[in-house]
This record gives sequence, C-alpha cells and structure tokens, in this order.
Amino acid sequence: MSDLVPFAVAVPIFGSIVALAAGVFRSKSGWAVAVGASVLQLAVAGTLAASAFGDERISYVVGGFDVPFGIELVVDGLSATVLLLVAGVALGVLAYARRAGPRSNPFYATYLLLVAGLSGMTVTGDLFNMYVFLEITGLAAYALVASGEDGRSPVAALKYLIVGTFGASLFLLGIGYAYIGTGTLNMADLAVKLAESAAVDPTLAQAAFALIVVGLFIKVAVFPLHTWQPDAYAGAPDTVSGLISALVSTVAAYALLRVVYTVFGTGFLESNPVAEAMLVGGAVVSIVVGSLLAVSQSEVKRMLAYSSVSQFGLIVAAVAIGNTTALVGAAIHLVGHAVMKGGLFLTAGLVATETGARTVEEFNGLVDRSPVGAGAFGVLAVSMVGVPPTVGFAGKWYVAVGAAESGAWALLAVIVASTLLTLAYFARLVERMFFREPAPQPAVERAGATTSAEPADAVADGGGGDPRGASLGMYATVVGAAVLAVALGFAAFGYGELLEPTIERLLLSP
Amino acid sequence: MVDPLVPPFVPVLLAAVLLPFLGRRTGHALGALASAAVVPYVWLVTEGAHLPVQLFGFDAVLFNVDPFSTLMGVIFGFIGAIGVLYSYASDAENLQTAFALGYVGTSLGAVFGGDWLSLIFFWELMAVTSTLLVWHYGGKAVRAGFRYALAHGIGGTLLLGAVIWHFAETGTFLFGSVPGGPETAGMAGGVAPVLAALGIGVNVGFIGLHAWLPDTYPRPHVAASVFLCVFTTKTGVYGMYRVFPQDGNVAVAYMGGAMAVFGATMALFQNDMRRLLSYHIQSQVGYMVAGVGIGGALAQAGAFAHVFNHILYKGLLFMTAGVVVYRTGEESLKKLGGLASEMPITAGAFSVAALSIAGFPGFNGFVSKGIVISASHYAFEKGPVVLGEFYTLELLLLVGGVGTFMSFIKFGYYAFFHGTYDGSVRDANRGQSVAMVTVAALCVVYGLFPGALFALLPFDVTSAAVVAHVYHTYTTSHILEGVALAALGLVGFALVKKPLSGLGRVPDVDNVHNSVTFYATRALVVGVTELYAAVDRVVVATASATTAAVRAPGAVAGRVTGSDDPVSLRADYSTSILLVAVVLAVLVAASVSL
Repeated sequence: MSDLVPFAVAVPIFGSIVALAAGVFRSKSGWAVAVGASVLQLAVAGTLAASAFGDERISYVVGGFDVPFGIELVVDGLSATVLLLVAGVALGVLAYARRAGPRSNPFYATYLLLVAGLSGMTVTGDLFNMYVFLEITGLAAYALVASGEDGRSPVAALKYLIVGTFGASLFLLGIGYAYIGTGTLNMADLAVKLAESAAVDPTLAQAAFALIVVGLFIKVAVFPLHTWQPDAYAGAPDTVSGLISALVSTVAAYALLRVVYTVFGTGFLESNPVAEAMLVGGAVVSIVVGSLLAVSQSEVKRMLAYSSVSQFGLIVAAVAIGNTTALVGAAIHLVGHAVMKGGLFLTAGLVATETGARTVEEFNGLVDRSPVGAGAFGVLAVSMVGVPPTVGFAGKWYVAVGAAESGAWALLAVIVASTLLTLAYFARLVERMFFREPAPQPAVERAGATTSAEPADAVADGGGGDPRGASLGMYATVVGAAVLAVALGFAAFGYGELLEPTIERLLLSP
Repeated sequence: MVDPLVPPFVPVLLAAVLLPFLGRRTGHALGALASAAVVPYVWLVTEGAHLPVQLFGFDAVLFNVDPFSTLMGVIFGFIGAIGVLYSYASDAENLQTAFALGYVGTSLGAVFGGDWLSLIFFWELMAVTSTLLVWHYGGKAVRAGFRYALAHGIGGTLLLGAVIWHFAETGTFLFGSVPGGPETAGMAGGVAPVLAALGIGVNVGFIGLHAWLPDTYPRPHVAASVFLCVFTTKTGVYGMYRVFPQDGNVAVAYMGGAMAVFGATMALFQNDMRRLLSYHIQSQVGYMVAGVGIGGALAQAGAFAHVFNHILYKGLLFMTAGVVVYRTGEESLKKLGGLASEMPITAGAFSVAALSIAGFPGFNGFVSKGIVISASHYAFEKGPVVLGEFYTLELLLLVGGVGTFMSFIKFGYYAFFHGTYDGSVRDANRGQSVAMVTVAALCVVYGLFPGALFALLPFDVTSAAVVAHVYHTYTTSHILEGVALAALGLVGFALVKKPLSGLGRVPDVDNVHNSVTFYATRALVVGVTELYAAVDRVVVATASATTAAVRAPGAVAGRVTGSDDPVSLRADYSTSILLVAVVLAVLVAASVSL
C-alpha cells in the first residue's frame, strides 16, 4: 500500500511529459492525455484514501534512505482528503476545459504539472520537499494564468510571479532557520527537536515560524498579502480561474495547517502567544476586509476572488483555534470551499460564454438568459453563505463550534458576522439574477463588440463552430459542483467523525 | 337541570353571524330567539358547573356557573331579546343588529368566563363589537366611536396589565371560586387590584374616566343605544366584583357614592334626552359600584339586584327616549313638550321607568336601591360626615336619589307634560310597544313582589343567617324615605327650574381631556414625524456616503487625502512587495522580541 504513495506525484508528472511529447506528433492531444492521467491519479488517491482513515498513517521513504535523512511521503486522513480533492477537481475541471479551452498541449502539460506540485505538497513529510513542490505549484500556476490571450493575463501572471516567489523565498528562509536550529528537515523529526526547547534557540524557532507563516500567508492570500490574487483570478482564463481558485490556496492553507501542527505543534503555540495572535489577527482582518472589498467590486470574478480572501480567513481562524472540532471544520471548509469557489468561477465562465455577462450589473435578470448558470450560481452562492444543509454551513458550523469550545468569543463573533458579510455580496447578485429585469441594452451585444477583452469568449470563438456554445461538459461540471455543494453538506458530519482520530493524533504530536 | 354543553355566547354569536344573510324578519326573529333561549338555559344549568378548556395554552373556563354569572346571564339574555325586538320595530338594519348581537354574545362570554383570561378576551371583544355598533350609524357617531374605542383601549390595557400581574403572583388565571383556582379569590398582590380598578373604572364610568359615556351613547341609532346602555357598564360592575369578591374596597365604595351624586347632578343640566340618560347610567352604576365596594353579602346582593333592575328600567328609558326621537326626530327636550296626550303608551312606560330609577315605592328601583343604602348604613364605616342617623356614603346615595328624581321630573315635564305639541305624533308602533310594556310590567312586578327578585340574588337578603342586617322592603321608614326623596325632588325641581332653563351646555371633564388629548396627539405626531425625518436624513446621508465609498473607494480616498484625482487602491507590484515586507518585519519583530 505504501508503495502507491509516490505514484500520487509521479502519475501527473509522467502525464505532463507525455502530453508535451504527444504534442510533437499530434496537436490538441493534450486533453486526452490529461484525462487519462487524472483518472489514474484519482484512482491512486481513492485507493490511498480508502486506507488512510485508520490509526496508522501511510509512510514511504524515497530512494531507500532512512528517515529522517531520506524524503518521507506521508498520507493520513487529512492529506488523503486534500489529495482526493486535488485529483477530483482536476478531473472535473478537465470536463469543463474540453470546450472552454485553452487547448494546446503545453497548456495541459502545465496543468498536470500543477496537479503534480499540489499532490506533492499534500503528501510530503519533508519540509524542504514541501518548498520544492510549492515552487513547482507556483511556477505552473504563473504559467497557467499567463495562458490567457488578452494583455491582462501576462500582467496578472507577472505580479503573481513576483509576489509568489517572494513568498516562497520567505518560506525557504524560514525552513533555513529551522534547519539551523535543529539540523533536520523531516517534519516529524523537526517536531521532536523543536519540542526539546533546550536544544533549540527559541528566537530561531520564532523567526522560523514568522517567516514560514508569512510565506504561506502570501500563498493562501491573507489580507494584506493577497494583492496578487484578485488580478490573477480575474485575469486568468475561466478554466484556470476555476482550477487555481479551487486548489492552489487550498493546498497552501493545508500546508499552513500541516506546518503549524505537525512541525511546530500545539506546545509552541501555547508558549508563544504572539504566534497565535499572528494567526488570529490574519484571520480576522482577512474575513472582514476581504468581505468588504468583495462588496465593492463590480466585476464578478474579482468579487469571487475577494470572497476567497475572506473564506480563507475563516480557515486560518480554525487553525488559530486549534481544537479538534475547529480543525475538522477547517478540513471540511477546505473541501467545501474548493468545490463551491471552483464551481462559482466555472459558472461565471459559463455565464460569460452564454451571455457575455461579466460584471455585477450585467447579471441583471440572468435567470431568463442563462437558467442553468443562474441556478447553479444561486445554489453555490447560498452554500457559500452557509445556509443549511449545504457544505458551506457544515464547515462554518464546525469552526464556530470549535471557537465556542475553546472560549474564543471574539473570534466566534467574527465568524458569525462573516456569514452576514458573505450574504452582503452574494445576496445582491442573487437578487439581480432572479428578481431584476435585464438591462435595456443586452450584455451580449456589448460583449460581442469587445470580444478582445473577453479571453474565454475569444477562445470559444476561435475553436467551435458555435461561437457561444457551452458544451455538455461545461454544464455537467457546473451542475455537478452545485449538486456536490449540497450533497457534501449531508456527508460532512459523517466525514467529520471519520476525520477526528487523525486530527486528535495531529494535535497530540510533540 | 341542564348539562353545560355549550357556553351561552355560542348561539348568540352564531345568530349574529347568520343575521346579515337572512331576511329582516327571519333574522331578527332568530336573533331574539337565540338571545331569549339563553335565559332558561343558564337558569337551569346547575350551579358550580363549568366547562374547562385551554385558551392560548392556559387553563381557562368558558362556562362558569355561579349565582352572580347566572343573574347576569338571565338579564343579559332577556334584554338582548327585547333589544332585538325593539331594533326590528325601529327599522334597524340587519348588520347593526348583528353587531348588537355580537356585543350581547361577547358580554355573555365575559360574565360566564371562569378565569381572567377569558374575561379579558371577551372584554376586549366587547369593546370592538360595541365600537362597530356605534360606527355603523355613521355621521357624528364615527368620531365619538373613535373616542369610545380609545377610552376602552386604555381601560382594557390597564385591566390586561392587572391580569398579567395577577398571573405572575398566583401562576394561574382561574378565579378563586373555580376548582384549581388560587386559594384567595380576587386580584392578588398590591398593584394588580389598583390597575384592575382603574381599567374597569373606565367601563363603569369612574368620575374623570366617564366622559366617553355621555359622549357616545346619545349618538348612534336609537336601538343601538338600548344595547349600549346595558352591557358595557354592567359587565364592568361584574368585573369589579370579581376583583374585590369578599370585603370590597373603601375607595371604590366612596367613588360609587360620588358617581351617584355627580352623574345625577350632571344629568340635571342636560337637555339632550339620551345624554341625560347617559349621565344617569353613571349615577346608577355608582350605586352598584358602592355596593361592590362595601362588600359582604348584603351589599353585593344589593349591587347585583340593582344591576338587574337597572338593566330593565334603563333599557326602558332608552326605548322611550328612542321612540320620541324615532317619531319626532328631535333629540332636545327644549323642542319637545306635551307628548303625553299624543303618545300615551310611551308616556306611561316612561313614567314607570322614571319612578323605578328614582326609587319610588312600588317600583323595582326602590327595592334594590334600598338594599344598597341599607348596606351602606349597616355594613359600612360611618365616614367623616354623619348627619343624625345618616352616614357619609348613605348621605351621598340619598342625595344622588334626590338628584335622580329632579332630573326625571325635568325629563318627564319637558317631554310629556309641559305645554302642548304642535301637530300630531303617532305613538310607538306595535313592536316597540310590546317591548316597552313587557319591560315596564316587569319593573312593576319586581317592585311589588320583591321576593321574585330576591330569588334571583346570589345571597338571600331576608335570611339573618346570610346577611348582617335582614332587609325588609316595605317598612314604614323605607317608604317614608322613598316618598321624602320624591318630595325633595319635586321641591328641588320647582326651585331650580328657572335657573336651569337659562343654562347652556355645562362643560364636563371631556372638555379638558379632549383638548389635552388633541394637542398632545398633535405634538406627538409632529414630534414623531420630525424625529423620523431627522433620523431619515442621517440614515440616507450615511447610506449615500457608504454607497459612494463602496462604489468608488478610490474617489473617496482621494477626497480624504485632499487630492482631486481618485487614488488607485489596487496595489501594484512595488506596493505588493512593500506590503509583504512590512508585514514580515512587524511579525518577525513581534515574535522574536516578545
């Protein structure tokens, strides 16, 4: 079983190479390769997840070295969850990408490289290895953002690259400090060494923590380190927005959780109130300011991007609370948010493909023009607000209960208020979609006149015979995301019980 | 004996609902029948029977039978039937009679409620139905109806407050006499009785709270007045008894005495027939309130005997006044006169009713008023003023009696006997005559055979085992007292006849509180409107500013920083890196140094 772990990373990397090579012989064969690799990846992830929720974690050491010197790959309930999410979302977005594009082989090669990086970050048990996969993820993501056809994409990608690399460097710097202090890079070993406070200079550990957290905050896009994120999400092609909004920040948040609890541990947080204050502060500011910025956006995709800033604030809050209930909530909300936000971006893309509507105002009376899009968007928005029985509710519920359990009343108030803030920006869209008359000048005409500003449309125009055609795959993905957002809400509580042993072990680790 | 299957208000309210859809004759027949059927029904139901239910989730009793409620039910049912007959004969519309029957039904519900919750429930419904009855006439009655509704809204709210307070004290709404009720009857605690007395005080017309009474009752249809004069005030007396079921209350007793004098005096100044009669309601209810306030078997028996008799003769008085208005179209005594020869039946009925209300020997008012006065002598404190054999409250009640004689001599003199009437007027029609003669006959029967009345009373006033002082109706001193009052009334009327005729409208407290209410309401409305406008301005300004800030944050930031151009709030590359560096510096410094 443990021999299967490296395949979670190797399969997409191999797929990526095959996709690139296949392009030499036959153009536009990348999609088929990507689907094949993703199906295989999903099978691997599923098999691993089936046995990961037990008492024992699955461990594999690369290259026949011994722990802690070799690179260890570890799968427990938490990483299995994220791995499954990565594989599932990657496959789902592919169904959407078939028509929406981009369609070149290098695109799918990069796509699979991103999946490989994300999978690697998820399963690695080695801190430096995590940095490597973080960089792979980042570079693939910059390239994907840049794959749009208008001028916005490269500019956004460049900003993403500069800020993201800065963040990764800080992460590396933090790892360096930790390595100086402990002489090891294996997470479990680091945890043991850091816990022996006599062996490590506390200043060194604190500096390492601050650097790593700031680096990951950039990747998670916590306010005010989020500046790359709205541009990147809004500037990227719709397919890419859906993929990276669902996965990149999610895996970064998972990495934050992993580093805070597997490497530094609860004891470090207890003895360093500043460390905890850092997390709480980032969470509160992100939740509130992210929501306020989302309200003030006029472009739907930018609004969704700022919504992510706010939602990840919630997950950072759960990490800061750090009891079993809150961390189960963090896991549920990671999965739920990925499904909902990815679904929302893809729905926004579908709506733009069908009607050309990209701004909040153009969503007026959308239900007449794009009933599926408006319906899916409505369900996902309601779920994001956290209305029972959706998955958005389940995640927030666990986090809120966790906050109450540990007596963090101020944080609880912010978490509850976040629901209202989320309502503030989604309610106005829902109201416009379902209860307003369409604008007198149809958005379709305007979009048609300025096609160059609409990358997804431009791609659709160039490829298919039907200029505005949305394929069955696009509809299926969007509707599937909406159905999943509700269905996962029912599954969430059973999953929470399943995950509890893993989280308890995580909190107990030295 | 009959089992208590259905509360007595049910058939009456059913008839009220059906009435508007039936023909005039059928509908009124049904209404009269439903109301009349209540009389034998409640008379035959076993005492102590009750019908427990759940009202709004609380224990309640809808059909509580004890001697007090039986007496109220008998007379309410009877006068309800008479009133429907009179309405039919006086060309009342079906809808008006339906409202009137609704009023009868809710009153029956109130007096048969075995708990405060159903009492207050029907109490408020009475206010609603009676207001509708007033409003239905239109014209001046509408504004009077509003004032009436306002007064009863305030009174009902006070009583509701008392009921809730009582519930908080005892944990149950039930009356003390009902199984499962609290150990002590009446309102519990210190505040609840005061609130209840004030709230009920509006209904019975405490001085100062009475202005709605002469304001409202003269205005609607003549048949509506017959209903109005009966139910609200008498249910109030019944409610007052429930608040003070044992020893009464001294203040309430004196208030009753004062009402008797005040009402009779104000009545003397009136020229509008129904307004004069309305003040007499206050005066007569004063006797009943005094009886309830004195407390004890004798006084309570007297109070309820007076309720019973009063409903008969006051209904009759409003019927006769109604016939005069119906036939002549005149409301004012100044424009009437010499009607005795034109309307002998009406004049005869009026004479019987007037002698009854004034308490002349041989008529029913003499019997019941005598019991109350007797109780005020034998069962009550002497009070501050004692004149020979007579004590304070007794004196008040006797003076009220003289005033009553004077004002009814005035009514009769100017309406029926003074001068001659120009032209010819027909007498009451057949239906009106039947109604009036029936009631007049009862007034005389109960006057001549007081035993028939005593049989109805909750306490046997002729038994030394029950009452403190055995009451004998026809003793020499009693008869002398009655005749002396009449003589004083005659002499008094002869003395004040001249000055009275020159008197204009005498102001009552409503002159003060109507204007106070008017200006206070206006001030309140203007104040609220202005406040709302001010709040509205602030809110709109804040909302506009917020909207502007949300729509174009850059422009707002530009204004704040003093530049005309909008500030770009999107972080470019360098700003992003700067932000990262600043956050990093702050966090590292914080975590390392602390």
